[in-house]
Amino acid sequence: MHRRAALALGAGFAATAALRPAGAQAKAELNFLHKWPEPDNIAFFRQVVREFEAANPGVSIKMEAVADDPYKDKIRVVMASGNVPDIFFSWSGEYAGQFVRAGRTLDLTAALAAPEWKDRFAPATLVPFTFEGKVRGVPMNLSAKFLAYNKALFAAAGITAPPATFPELITAMDKLKANNVVPIALGTQAPWAAAHYIGDWNTKLVPNDIRAADYSLAAPEDKLFTHPGYAQALTHFGEFASKGYFNRSPNALTHAIARGTFTAGRAAMFYEETLGFKNYAGTKLAADGWSFFKMPAFPDGAGDQGQITGAPDGFLVSAATKNPKEALAFLNFLTTRANGAAWTKVSGRPSAVQGAITEEVTLPEIAAGIAQLGQATGMALWLDTVIDPRVVGVYLPGMQAVLGGTETPQQVMDKIRAMAIRVKKERG
Amino acid sequence: MHYARGNYLAAAIMLAPAVLLLAVFVYLPTIEAFRYSLHRWSSLSPTWTYVGFENFRELFADPTLWRALIHNTIYAVVSLFFQVFIGLVLAATLESGIVRRRLAGFFRISIFIPSILPITAIGLLWTMLYQPAVGLIDQAMTAAGLAAWSRAWLGDEQTAVVAVVMVSQWQWTGYIALLFVVAIRAIPKELYEASMLDGAGPVAQFWNITLPGVRETAIVMASITVYGAIKVFDIVWVMTNGGPNSASEVLGTFLYRTAFRNDMVGYASAIAVVMFCLALIFGLIQIRLQRERPE
Repeated sequence: MHRRAALALGAGFAATAALRPAGAQAKAELNFLHKWPEPDNIAFFRQVVREFEAANPGVSIKMEAVADDPYKDKIRVVMASGNVPDIFFSWSGEYAGQFVRAGRTLDLTAALAAPEWKDRFAPATLVPFTFEGKVRGVPMNLSAKFLAYNKALFAAAGITAPPATFPELITAMDKLKANNVVPIALGTQAPWAAAHYIGDWNTKLVPNDIRAADYSLAAPEDKLFTHPGYAQALTHFGEFASKGYFNRSPNALTHAIARGTFTAGRAAMFYEETLGFKNYAGTKLAADGWSFFKMPAFPDGAGDQGQITGAPDGFLVSAATKNPKEALAFLNFLTTRANGAAWTKVSGRPSAVQGAITEEVTLPEIAAGIAQLGQATGMALWLDTVIDPRVVGVYLPGMQAVLGGTETPQQVMDKIRAMAIRVKKERG
Repeated sequence: MHYARGNYLAAAIMLAPAVLLLAVFVYLPTIEAFRYSLHRWSSLSPTWTYVGFENFRELFADPTLWRALIHNTIYAVVSLFFQVFIGLVLAATLESGIVRRRLAGFFRISIFIPSILPITAIGLLWTMLYQPAVGLIDQAMTAAGLAAWSRAWLGDEQTAVVAVVMVSQWQWTGYIALLFVVAIRAIPKELYEASMLDGAGPVAQFWNITLPGVRETAIVMASITVYGAIKVFDIVWVMTNGGPNSASEVLGTFLYRTAFRNDMVGYASAIAVVMFCLALIFGLIQIRLQRERPE
């Protein structure tokens, strides 16, 4: 009995082994790793892969997807293992930069200048994927961050227009507080939600060139993260907590729960990614009416008041790929205007493809937000993806400490400086 | 003679697959971790720099390590008290006849249930219960007039670690108690009957018969609890991510963050080596204790 089973099994293996070379040899295989495993999203990708394979019989695509947070671990493991996917997801800015510095990505400058890519992306979208003058990534999504607000709560507190400057924001929050309303909902149990405030305020309080030099650790050691604007940003953040402009104990709440208090009409504002707007339908907030405004400018800030926090994300092509042409052809197909529009409709994520975002495929508010991003003087990339991960590893807990009042902004900045200097030395 | 040699061969053949698996998946990675810990390298870069014991020197100067060690120790001490001591007291109570038979069965099942729930589900459940204002605990305290004592349990640096540790007690005390029930049942009934004739009460019986009778089990349970405390990761990661501001960081989350978020694989390996040494020390203590059995 056993022997017969083993024989049958053996015969089966032999048969598949004999069959395999015939089909596989001719095909170029592409490994494709991304971070949208949710049922609707993965269905979109499967469809695109099927269509591409049908049009290109010589190419077969092996796709894998893991969710946002585990992706950060997964990509490091595959990088260390040497089984680098031909095409893989990356945030823009330093997150992509670390792959570029390690020589793991292909230079796409010449390829993206070719006629088949013409006018595909707004030039500003490519900037966060450009390193030392070379474009390294194909953008997939755009996202921008705005303060969404509850119109009814604003009206009840006597706020007639959304604040345009920081002092106006403070005045508005005082009015809301006087009206017994939590001005801003914030959940920083996962501290990146704090990083978006600090990242935005850093751009407005620290001059662009100084900030860029600090973030990339190019500044000389004695200058790294010494501009007073950084501590100022943390100080404002701590004051928002201590003065009750945020809800109680943000460190105990997740971002989703904080959003829940906002959509339930129990907080007046929420710092939200354009993507998050789609969560508002059918809530108390939707009944109250809502809109959004840019993070207000600091009238005396030393930085760039015109930037909006936001960034593209997208795909990098492995330097080790055996099929660069096929990889680029697939990315080209993935980012046609039609596919960009279809993706936005399915995922709610604004596509980075020019002309793909229309009110037919997304909420008017999301389209308007992305349009505002296009008019901004620049994008303030997500702070936690724009600095070396080890410095981020000190910066993020530091924000929680400032919120909780257990460390002063200066103490936090000292720690950040120490880590930045250490990383700079190690980079050599 | 011949027979014995055949026996050895058979034993060796039968043990070989297990030993091989252990070697490949346990011993080899352990040795590799030592090697990794002597280098500075990241998962992205192909270059490895040999740094000798530099990672360890930095690690021992890193306040986060000591913070994490303190939290692991808190975890171990609290777990020993609740899971081993209270677990044993629970088991002895359930077996003593103080609780009626059918009721004892009900209690046994109820205290056991938390241990079969998935950790992630438990973590999320308790995160909800601990929420300030909307959480059940906060609401219960407010209703009981204790609103002044209410805190953001997981968000407060002072309470985060204890809040997480207590969830593990809730989960595991019943499980350990049930293992003690089995051990207590193995103690000869005659000892209890004889002691009763001698006029011993339940408390005297607990100290003089139950406790010595479950000594072996207690040592094993204490060891498991301590190992669990050294390598704890999941419940902390789900509930607090080690935060806020490292207030609930344990060695496991510290290692994970260092390796997979901060991309310092050599440094993370040094943390792994420290954890390994800790577990080794406790393992040796356990073996020693089990050898010194009073006959």
